[in-house]
Amino acid sequence: MNSPVMERSDQRSDAPAKSRSEGQGRGYSVVGKDCIKKDALDKVLGKAMFSADYSMDGMLYGGVFRSTIPHGTIKSLDLNGALEMDGVAAVLTSKDIPGKNRFGIIIKDEPSLVDDKIRRIGDPIALVAAESEEIAERALAAIKVEYEVIEPVLTIEEALHEDSPKVHGTTNVHISKKLIHGDADEAFKACDVIVENTYNTPSLTHMFIEPDAGISFFENGILTILASTQNAHYDRNEVSDLLGIPRSKVRVKQAVTGGAFGGKLDISVQCHLALLTWHTRRPVKMVRSRKESTLVSSKRHPMTIHARTGATSEGKLLAMEVFMTADTGAYASYGPAVATRAMVHCSGPYVIPNVKVEALFVYSNNPMCGAFRGFGVPQVSICHEGQMNALARELGMDPIEIRRINAHRVGSQIITGQILKESVGFLDTIDEALEGAGQVMKSGRAV
Amino acid sequence: MNEIEIRFTLNHKDITAKTQGNRLLVDFLREDLGLTSVKKGCAEGECGACTVICNGDTVTSCTMLAGQVQGKSVLTLEGLSLGGELDILQETYMEAGAVQCGYCTPGMILSSKALLMKNPSPSEDEIRRALSGNLCRCTGYTKIIKAVQMAAECLSEKISEKLPEKEEAAS
Repeated sequence: MNSPVMERSDQRSDAPAKSRSEGQGRGYSVVGKDCIKKDALDKVLGKAMFSADYSMDGMLYGGVFRSTIPHGTIKSLDLNGALEMDGVAAVLTSKDIPGKNRFGIIIKDEPSLVDDKIRRIGDPIALVAAESEEIAERALAAIKVEYEVIEPVLTIEEALHEDSPKVHGTTNVHISKKLIHGDADEAFKACDVIVENTYNTPSLTHMFIEPDAGISFFENGILTILASTQNAHYDRNEVSDLLGIPRSKVRVKQAVTGGAFGGKLDISVQCHLALLTWHTRRPVKMVRSRKESTLVSSKRHPMTIHARTGATSEGKLLAMEVFMTADTGAYASYGPAVATRAMVHCSGPYVIPNVKVEALFVYSNNPMCGAFRGFGVPQVSICHEGQMNALARELGMDPIEIRRINAHRVGSQIITGQILKESVGFLDTIDEALEGAGQVMKSGRAV
Repeated sequence: MNEIEIRFTLNHKDITAKTQGNRLLVDFLREDLGLTSVKKGCAEGECGACTVICNGDTVTSCTMLAGQVQGKSVLTLEGLSLGGELDILQETYMEAGAVQCGYCTPGMILSSKALLMKNPSPSEDEIRRALSGNLCRCTGYTKIIKAVQMAAECLSEKISEKLPEKEEAAS
């Protein structure tokens, strides 16, 4: 009764209320027990305050004028229509930024407002703050822009072509990294079977259910931002650099946040709110529409993964070679971290003594890619599991069996050289998944 | 835009309120009446976060004009626990772990409520169909469906408690 496996099956029973009491008395206050989330009551009562639920006296509504082209410069920008409109409190461009106009979690390459050039559809060109949402919308519609179009870079191939326009600096190569474990070239010679395939994975959007939103105001002389964010401390640093004021003069609080999945790690409304409150000295609220949120929030990196995997006739893996290319879009965001995670995990939960991995991430004029559940690991999973199935087919082996033979166990070495000393749940997971799948097949559901 | 006067029942109370003729019901409830449990997730009737119950049926308040509730009865999540007692669905959503980020929760509970009002003992398929207009990005739905099943079970226990002689007759 005290085994962890039993406890897990308790929780799956048809009566969670009962399993809750059975979970008591194991010496843990939370682990192994069904607990009611502390914020659940406010949420079922509809009292939880998300960013868009706040309102303040004298509050302005902010909006962003965004580029409609993916690559180019601004030939002319006419703000007069917005500036002259009744009820418009501020119209700002990059010239109104008192501090640094570049942010980014790893590489500071994204402007709060376009200064040198436009790098994607939706790049922010100007901000407005108005007495109502309706006036803000009308003010945005009254702004006129003329572009000088630059040929956009839209595929990995285009990005790598030497004559292609450069999104940043002098090269479109964002990351080029290698990971070498053992001697793959030599080991392939000893393989009885080698499978070679290319896998393409698409860009995806998080579609968190609450669109990005926030409200900014001065509180005791401190610029305060309440926002839907996963990264309040980082936001604070970016806002302080943007305004050129000390960290101690900025406070960012996370409001109840309606889903994120990595998509709210990057700056969304925070810097724009800060600028508008800085210039108007008034509270400002910004709530992105679903369309705006989807247009400019980060995405999952689309990847092309080319892999060769070799094994003995008994199904023992000997070598793997992976070359992955990814489009990080217009800005770096979490690209460098995604590259590292994808490389480290690309051989899957299998012991492969000889592995050679190369990753090449490029900038383009596509939507920015960043953190998204798994940081590149779901993309490479498609590849390593596809390779295992291909090997099983080639060898006439059971696809489960070839996974068992090569599975990481306690004591296995992974491709970074790390020895897995603690628990490794992969084999147990296979067993439980098979058992679960058997039950599903029997019950006839979801087949 | 002309101002209009709307008389309707909101959370069991008859009210009269003025708003713009082009005001969406979601903005009328959130901005004019301060009922911020009604969420605006997509503003085009896709996500279900703005679901309210209107005359017993679920509607997406982002695809209705405020004027359309004239003379009708509207229920938002705020109206579910009037008098301080939680609705059984509010209890089971907490108990089953059906609440994560919480943004879809108001609409999800109201769709569940509308279902149980019409069908107090729904099958799993009926629950899934009733909630098919409400998107959740966190839970994977399993625990939400569980919460509705638990609520339905509690309701049937309550009914049988009230009717002991019927139960005896059945056994």
